[in-house]
Amino acid sequence: MALLEMQNINKSFNQVPVLHDVHLEVDQGEIHALLGENGAGKSTLMNILGGIHQPDSGTIKVNGQSVQMTTPKVSQHHGISFIHQELNLVSDLKVYENMFLGQELRKPYGFLDVKEMCRQTEEILTKLGVHIDPQAEVRDLGTSYKQMIEISRALLHKSNIIIMDEPTTALSDSEVERLFELMRQLKQDGISIIYISHKLKEVKSICDRMTVLRDGYVVHTGPLEGQSLDQITTYMVGKSVSEDRLVSHAHTDEVVLSVDHLTLEGFYHDVSFRIKRGEIVGFTGLAGDGRTELFESLFGYRQNFQGDVQINGQSVHLNHPKKAVRAGLGYVPKDRKENAIIQDMDVVQNMSISSLGHFEKNGFINHKIEHKTFMNYKDQLNIKANNPKENIDKLSGGNQQKVMIARWLELNTDIIIFDNPTQGIDVGAKQEIYQHIIQLAEQGKAVIILSSEAPEMMKVCHHVYVMYQGEIVGSFDGSEATEDNILSYATGSKKEAVSVG
Amino acid sequence: MGEPKINDQHIEESQPNRFKRFMKWLWTDYSVIIAFLIMFVVAAFMSPRFLELGNLLNIVMQVSIIGIIALGMTVIMLSGGLDLSVGSVLALVGVLTIMALNATGSITMALLAALLAGPMVGLLNGLMIAKGRIASFIATLGMMAGARSIALYLADGGSMSGEVMAFANISNSDLGMIDVPIIIFIVMTALVYILMHKTRFGRYVYAIGSNEKSARLSAINVEKMKLAIYSLGGLMVSVAAIIETSRLNSISSSSSGQLYELDAIAAVIIGGTRMTGGRGKVIGTFFGVLILGILNNMMNLMNVSPHLQGFVKGLIIIIAVVFQKRE
Repeated sequence: MALLEMQNINKSFNQVPVLHDVHLEVDQGEIHALLGENGAGKSTLMNILGGIHQPDSGTIKVNGQSVQMTTPKVSQHHGISFIHQELNLVSDLKVYENMFLGQELRKPYGFLDVKEMCRQTEEILTKLGVHIDPQAEVRDLGTSYKQMIEISRALLHKSNIIIMDEPTTALSDSEVERLFELMRQLKQDGISIIYISHKLKEVKSICDRMTVLRDGYVVHTGPLEGQSLDQITTYMVGKSVSEDRLVSHAHTDEVVLSVDHLTLEGFYHDVSFRIKRGEIVGFTGLAGDGRTELFESLFGYRQNFQGDVQINGQSVHLNHPKKAVRAGLGYVPKDRKENAIIQDMDVVQNMSISSLGHFEKNGFINHKIEHKTFMNYKDQLNIKANNPKENIDKLSGGNQQKVMIARWLELNTDIIIFDNPTQGIDVGAKQEIYQHIIQLAEQGKAVIILSSEAPEMMKVCHHVYVMYQGEIVGSFDGSEATEDNILSYATGSKKEAVSVG
Repeated sequence: MGEPKINDQHIEESQPNRFKRFMKWLWTDYSVIIAFLIMFVVAAFMSPRFLELGNLLNIVMQVSIIGIIALGMTVIMLSGGLDLSVGSVLALVGVLTIMALNATGSITMALLAALLAGPMVGLLNGLMIAKGRIASFIATLGMMAGARSIALYLADGGSMSGEVMAFANISNSDLGMIDVPIIIFIVMTALVYILMHKTRFGRYVYAIGSNEKSARLSAINVEKMKLAIYSLGGLMVSVAAIIETSRLNSISSSSSGQLYELDAIAAVIIGGTRMTGGRGKVIGTFFGVLILGILNNMMNLMNVSPHLQGFVKGLIIIIAVVFQKRE
């Protein structure tokens, strides 16, 4: 008998059905992958299980007993823990304080029993094979350790079903390995995990079975064994997506951006490179390799760096993003929610915010032109937005990212930097974004892509630079780069004197 | 995929549905207008004198000064900031205006002095906040103490009276039935509305208040904007100071503008602007100001003890915010 059964779950929001008769079964001690594109209904289903939303109809059974998940507390009581993509830890508190947040152990007179809480925390952490001091401040810990603490908290609550939503997005490869180790151990202890991820390779290496959702319907459920990545992708998007390299053939010999000996103490050191018109160049490495800081500096967001930057042969001093834009640089930042999106504005306004000058007539914004321009991009980029006047945060991640791309297309800069352009985006939308990037290059723009995903680099880049601890340590032609090769440079196990030119 | 279906539903939306949506939109975006109407009706029932035209105009007249300050405060708060110095700056600008008036004998010079002084103080606030990276609460708290002190010093702690009698005409004349301060308040509301909803400036203010980092990475010059925002706040204080000074042709360096910052912030909050910025409306503030006006008027008409009036006002402000929390 399955540990968890969700049967005939239906759910609509504002009369728009999101889930149709969805079934999900999870056995004890299995890692079950829940797959699907953004907007397929994964989060809704999990929110129903977590007691955040109520289903319109359908039953949930835990251990064969029918239960009503009316609130998150009830769900927790039934042994379900939900580890969200954005970790739910208070960084100003200590490890043990986070573990027991909301259910602190107390001594008879109401004082906190710190000793006992630390002991229990230590016990669980040791069981998981992680060595963290219960008294350590959470803010000082790396993301993977924070994740461990969330998992420990789930164990503390005696959960037997743990939902993990995209747990590896912020982790480096070795950290992912550590997480998987832990998951395997949990599995042996009879704990079930529902694993949501877009990274199919990871899914394939860790999960036992999968349930695939598409547009609110379950389209496939079964073991992962023997399924190829292509096959899984096909289930998700309903058509096959090619894994082949996409190449733009537009690149010329005209250098648009040349960077010489750029240094910002503590972030990156003596970085030099050149980029030509029509070229797509990738920068990759592990978390903390300094690439984001490097390009934030180029874009004028960070100041006080040393070195020489030339755009179109002219030396430029960029100390504000506005100047960078004027000089011909565009930047689509990573972490959309924190760095790019303006949550309180609607979709159209998010598109136009950087180029309002284009929509002005006699000093006033002309809403008609603004709207019309957006509709053009909506068609061009295939942005799925029912109502351009709705808030941007109502869109799925992929569509939000397309709006961000539209923002920079409208500015029409010669050079565009994409930092982690496919973060949290489903397979279908990823492909579309690669195609737009290639189109940009074909129009003669120079494109820079920052990403920690090696396959992404190999897919579209003419040239790949690998960074390690703030330095460029490796440099390949895009067609010659392999995942192993990139990784050995990114982890610092290999290093070469880079000749730039 | 499922998208076309959703589109159809939008088009075929039934009439009652649209009405429901309209009501929901009204409730979430303009709940302050509903609150205003309720207060208006209640006031009309409680005191027959309330609905007299003279009384109604009197209400608007009394809130016009706070109203103009609140307009500037709206812009500042939409950008995620706060200005505690408005009351003190009003006194300082008033003192400087009277000094310029008495020194030159020219009303034009007095107005010029006023309209320069406010934005300059605002610019100083902006510099501290944008360039000095001081929290707006702290920077303007300092300015609040500083500006009041300079006003006291210049006026020797007392009141100053204008020697050009015609200066009093500004606040004490009317067009038809309507007093000039009311007209200035309404015109200012319209101008700030246009500025906030039809121009680049307004968009940038909302963007900065919503997510400052995104705004900066969208190539908005956040620092420059903040200088402009606080200068605009100062300009609004200047206009308010002119009306205040002209009313009695004098200004008190110690008591003029006392606690105006709290009334202005209250009006903005009642009007539905979010404390942390990014969301709110100029029209909301306009009605927020009127609500404060009706409240004061009602309490006077019903002979509520002046010592208790603060309590009632505080209560209403808190109730208003509790209702707005339900977004």
